[in-house]
Amino acid sequence: MPSPSSSTSIRSIRLRILRCDGPGKPSRWETFSVFPEPGANVISCLQQIAASPITSEGRPTTPVVWDSGCLEEVCGACTMLINGKVRQSCSCLIDDYAPNNGDTITLEPMSKFPVVRDLWVDRSRMFDALKRIKAWAPIDGAYSLGSGPREKPDRQATRYILSTCMTCGCCLEACPQYNLEPDSHEWGTSFIGAHAISQARLFNMHETGAELKPQRLEALEDKGGINDCGNAQNCVKVCPKNIPLTESIAAIGRHTTIHAIASWFSKT
Amino acid sequence: MSPAVHGSSSDSTPRPSLLDRHYHLLRRLHSLTGIVPIGIFLIAHLVTNSSILWGAIAIREPAPIPGWSNAGVAYFWHEVKWINEQIPHLLLLEAALWGSILFHSAFGVYYAMSGRSNTDRYRYQSNWRYKLQRISGYIGILFIFYHIATLRWGWTFLVPGGTRWSYQFSASTLAASLRGGMTEVTTAGLAVSTLYFVGVGLLVFHFANGLWTAAITWGLTVSAHAQRRWGYACTALGAALLIMGWGSVIGYAILDPTKVQALEHQLIDPIDRHQTLADPATFLGPREMDLTGEHPLAEPGYPWPGTENTTHKEAQEGPLQR
Repeated sequence: MPSPSSSTSIRSIRLRILRCDGPGKPSRWETFSVFPEPGANVISCLQQIAASPITSEGRPTTPVVWDSGCLEEVCGACTMLINGKVRQSCSCLIDDYAPNNGDTITLEPMSKFPVVRDLWVDRSRMFDALKRIKAWAPIDGAYSLGSGPREKPDRQATRYILSTCMTCGCCLEACPQYNLEPDSHEWGTSFIGAHAISQARLFNMHETGAELKPQRLEALEDKGGINDCGNAQNCVKVCPKNIPLTESIAAIGRHTTIHAIASWFSKT
Repeated sequence: MSPAVHGSSSDSTPRPSLLDRHYHLLRRLHSLTGIVPIGIFLIAHLVTNSSILWGAIAIREPAPIPGWSNAGVAYFWHEVKWINEQIPHLLLLEAALWGSILFHSAFGVYYAMSGRSNTDRYRYQSNWRYKLQRISGYIGILFIFYHIATLRWGWTFLVPGGTRWSYQFSASTLAASLRGGMTEVTTAGLAVSTLYFVGVGLLVFHFANGLWTAAITWGLTVSAHAQRRWGYACTALGAALLIMGWGSVIGYAILDPTKVQALEHQLIDPIDRHQTLADPATFLGPREMDLTGEHPLAEPGYPWPGTENTTHKEAQEGPLQR
């Protein structure tokens, strides 16, 4: 296959990677030289390193571990810090980040989740947060519930973008109110994060999911819920799916305001 | 449910603390107190203080007061006198305000401790405002404490020059507190003026930005467009308050306390004397006045700071004739 530009196709770039051998182990930096093909992404460069794990100083080392799934920016697994900012590595093109020979790209694991190894982190807390706000439509039961209510087009239009959340963790990594919490016993009272607040809105707007709306709002009124948002609004700026997270936060703010006042006057 | 399961679940989830059980209420009260009463008071306070700038336009004196800043001083003097003598339950209002500031400060610091700023990596304007909101809160608490302690509670050992603020000499004692004495501006006085300049600026930002975030917290501005529109409104309010706040600090700091005090002597006296002569029974003047019609300030050498050698006649005519 003819190369479109010989100067870019044979260039060498460097990946500076923050490595860690396992939970609780110390971190260290290692640099690798790779030869990206045109259109290469960070993952394909990591595959080069895995094939030949030798640092740029010529020292043999272990292959760099990372997590990935879909390789088309819909699963969220390969999220990491690239040049200090959070994003998916599969959609991160080398031609954009290191266009010239000798350029360096820095890779770090996300800082808000416990590191499993190297660039692979454990995002269990995100899924625990989805359980906290019951991010589902309650249709399980002993008998058939029949067909659900019709969904109105205008609500569907609002809900669609919210449904594209892939639980990648970008919004949480960029959030100054969301911090590393390795102890899972603390997850129930530490900040739940923008993704879960937005999912609560998604399922509250679902005709069947709305049955759990009071329980979702009460969970979000507790410590670590909607009130722990500091309105830095980094979440909406780093979201790779352009989900209007700050609108979801404000909408849940409105619903908890109404729910809390109504409860205060009516709850026995 | 078996007793063993019940026992283990109650052991692993202890009853939340009182603060955690009313978490939502306390967070919303924290938001509310920032606007009512603290924010409303801030607006009223800066409008009153800035009358040194615009009082000449609004003054309703029967006798015209020559000079823009003299008229500003006179207007401010009337406003402060009204606040101190006419507002009912003043101490109760003040206690409610102090209580709100204490609550807002204590919970604000507690809530702010849960965050960790990351402006080094995410340099968005909203992220800087998040950081500045917390910094302005911390410095604002210290500034408000100094401000109330010195000018309201009379902790004169914290005032360079030792001026005690008095509502009857509102502008001159304020100017002396900002300048570090009745005469020229001292280095310590300049430090106090700078503290006021910075403190007022940070608190105005804290209020304007807090008003913007409160609309999200309570769910008033849901769409991004609504948040931007409300942002313009909060910026405009903040800019207006900033002009008033900074204008006030500069306006009082450049006053000549001695001349202003002479004017204040004159403002205290003729009006009260007139009222006393008209109907001594319904006289509602300052508490220090006697009802004989003879004012204590009329005696030469009455010991007000900086006016030891000023006779009543000089005080009455001096600053206006010069």
